[in-house]
Amino acid sequence: MSFHPLMEYDPGRFHHSERKIADEGAPFVFTPERRAKLDEILTEYPPERKRSAVLAALYLVQEQEGYLTANGMRHVAGILDLTPAEVEDVATYYVMFFKEKVGKYVLQVCRTLSCALNGAERVTESLSEKLGIKVGETDPSGMFTLLEFECLGACDRAPVVMVNNEHWHEHATPESCSKLIDDIKAKGEAALSGCHLKVEK
Amino acid sequence: MYDRQVMDTVTLTIDGRQVTVEKGRTVLQAAIESGIKIPYYCYHPGLGIDGSCRVCIVKIEKMPKLQTSCSTTVTEGMVVHTRTPEVVEARASVFEFLLINHPLDCPVCDKGGECPLQDFSYSFGPNESRMEFPRRVFDGEGVRADVDFGPTLMLNRNRCILCTRCVRFMREIDTDAQINITDRGYGSEIATFQEQGVHSLLSGNLMDVCPVGAITTKDYRFKARPWDNPEAVDTICTLCEKGCNTTAWIKAKPEWAKGPQLIRMTPRLNPDVNGYWMCDIGRFDYHWIEGDHRLQRPLVRSEAGTLEPTDWTNALSKVADKVTAAGGTGALRFFVSAQASLEELFLIGRLGGAFGLPESGVAVGWRQREKPQPKHAKFKIPPTDAPNVNGARVLGFPVKTGSDGTADISAFRAAVEQGRISALYVFDPGPDGYIGDVSWLVEAKRAGRLPLLIVHGVVMTELASVADIVLPGAAWVEKDAAYVNAQGRLQGASRAMAPPGDAQEDWQVFVNVGLALGAGLTYTSSAAVRADLAATLSANEAFAGLTSLAFSRPVTARHWLQASNPSERWKWDFMFQDLPPVKFAGTPRATSPPQTIALREVD
Ligand code: SF4
Ligand code: SF4
Ligand code: FES
Ligand code: FES
Repeated sequence: MSFHPLMEYDPGRFHHSERKIADEGAPFVFTPERRAKLDEILTEYPPERKRSAVLAALYLVQEQEGYLTANGMRHVAGILDLTPAEVEDVATYYVMFFKEKVGKYVLQVCRTLSCALNGAERVTESLSEKLGIKVGETDPSGMFTLLEFECLGACDRAPVVMVNNEHWHEHATPESCSKLIDDIKAKGEAALSGCHLKVEK
Repeated sequence: MYDRQVMDTVTLTIDGRQVTVEKGRTVLQAAIESGIKIPYYCYHPGLGIDGSCRVCIVKIEKMPKLQTSCSTTVTEGMVVHTRTPEVVEARASVFEFLLINHPLDCPVCDKGGECPLQDFSYSFGPNESRMEFPRRVFDGEGVRADVDFGPTLMLNRNRCILCTRCVRFMREIDTDAQINITDRGYGSEIATFQEQGVHSLLSGNLMDVCPVGAITTKDYRFKARPWDNPEAVDTICTLCEKGCNTTAWIKAKPEWAKGPQLIRMTPRLNPDVNGYWMCDIGRFDYHWIEGDHRLQRPLVRSEAGTLEPTDWTNALSKVADKVTAAGGTGALRFFVSAQASLEELFLIGRLGGAFGLPESGVAVGWRQREKPQPKHAKFKIPPTDAPNVNGARVLGFPVKTGSDGTADISAFRAAVEQGRISALYVFDPGPDGYIGDVSWLVEAKRAGRLPLLIVHGVVMTELASVADIVLPGAAWVEKDAAYVNAQGRLQGASRAMAPPGDAQEDWQVFVNVGLALGAGLTYTSSAAVRADLAATLSANEAFAGLTSLAFSRPVTARHWLQASNPSERWKWDFMFQDLPPVKFAGTPRATSPPQTIALREVD
């Protein structure tokens, strides 16, 4: 049971953590296209620093699986010569990585100061009520996940709701958000605003 | 030519004192070196610098803010203050923060009594906390929060102060980074991937580096507190050829109480041998010393064929009778484990000389086993499970190694198996198995090819169980003895406790056996053996220190700090001089009732 020569290892005898551990997920390998994309990204780093590509690699896992699975993290660790623990360290640090299955549209409401002062709480409450889910949950149809986020860097247009890590909806109010939900339900992707970053450019 | 001495030092002022240190040191190191008290948690001299705990802050003139001294390199003319009100107050606040979520379950915590969090908080922290909220809790409350952290460890996340020493130990020394910090900020937790725990032969060191009771070993958990172990003996580990410097901790207990005296092994700093670390084999494989299989009395095979305990006088006369019956001392051959110390090997040499032992009459055995470790581990455990292969080599014993480093005893084995040896004396003062594979010897004895087998050892091994006479000796913590490690370094293991029962120190056994067999050995102490050995080796410079080897004696602690974690003992020496604690004088409860802001009514 134990590889350790001196200590027998009987996990049954000890307490276990209630920490949420990553979902094992399905066996994971990158699709050939994503692998090619990662290899291309890797050319930007010196070979001995390839671990620096961990964020890019994790985004690719998330793109493929919808969220980060333990198997996905192991796969990334193998490619980048990291330990799975190091990959998990990074993956759990960043809130943009989802550690469990999320809906097609992830609504992330900023709760940091500027947004909070401008009524972000009301926005969250109204979304929660409209979708019938609490923060952190996904609605039964698998369409929407509601999350609270820290500052999204658009404080001048608070409160801000970000959808799927890409689409900023600014000056949000309970009414505008209710309309956003209806629009998404009716028109899908088309209802989303452009990428904030691209708009700025 | 430039003068190294002058070029490579930096002089700075700390608390008004001129301090000269090597260039490249940090302010914290400079302060520690000159005995100035600055607390620290994330800094560990054996690990990389992190700067995450913030308790080492100091005021450096011309720098706008307080700086972490552990991550600031000294520069010429720097002026540092560690005890100005600004520093004292800020430091006290850091301690208050560190204790916001700390459970303060010291009475049930294994670290209690040797805990830098206790000690530094007491010396530098505020008198009381303003914390009125429930503490953050992971995994449960109190010791129920201890979760499984691999085969050897337990983890209590509530106590963790997130200094990342454990993370850095695994990343830098073990080089298999199994520990990580999940989440961030307030939710940060020490974890392993999928909660699988730490699997490493260096895992025990995590208990040493953890400055709080978050990581504890399953082996030592709840067994003793530092003040129960008043005696800590500086010694070395003899379980492999590395020879790590260690401390053996002896628990005080009434002689009628159950349970062992030897309560744990911890590493002792030796930059040339083991640094700050030791492996789990050396740390946890000591239970056999006071285990059920220890030989406590001489045993002699009776008429009925069973091994019966007897006294030394009887056993030694039996040795004389049986050896004579088996062909006399000239027929006696030796098989020695490389666990034997220099003194013991020397005495075997003396006996051999007296008996006219031919060159081929002695064989030296040991066990070779690869230790599973990451390829680039900074602390490597050598495969040779014997402390003194080099010593045997120097003393002229026929040390033959096979191509893979194993002991090559094929000629000796052939002699035994062909029945060419009529009397064999096996000396094995190590734990079971460390002499190497001897199943063939057991076979030969069982098959009647070996008329007389004397086993002089410490545990009831299979080999001892087939012997005609068994003589009980001492384990390495029960005798003063010298060994030569893989680097050719002469080191001494000290006597921390007495051998059990009637067992004797091995030099004594050899002297007695020599007397019984007519070889006049007259030594009265192991030091006398060493002196004689030193005289015969006087030409060899490596052994110049043999007579002046310092053997540590159990020192009864004068105060509780002395019995603290010896890997950090120098810290106690520096930090807890007779200076009074630097207490934050201001009262943390600065708000008087009228100024209190009433809580908003929530409807
Ligand atoms: S478990 Fe111990 S060593 Fe590791 S971060 Fe926490 S306090 Fe530091
Ligand atoms: S490396 Fe060798 S000498 Fe050091 S603790 Fe381990 S077994 Fe003992
Ligand atoms: S506070 Fe919400 S975007 Fe900055
Ligand atoms: S010791 Fe300097 S920040 Fe921790």
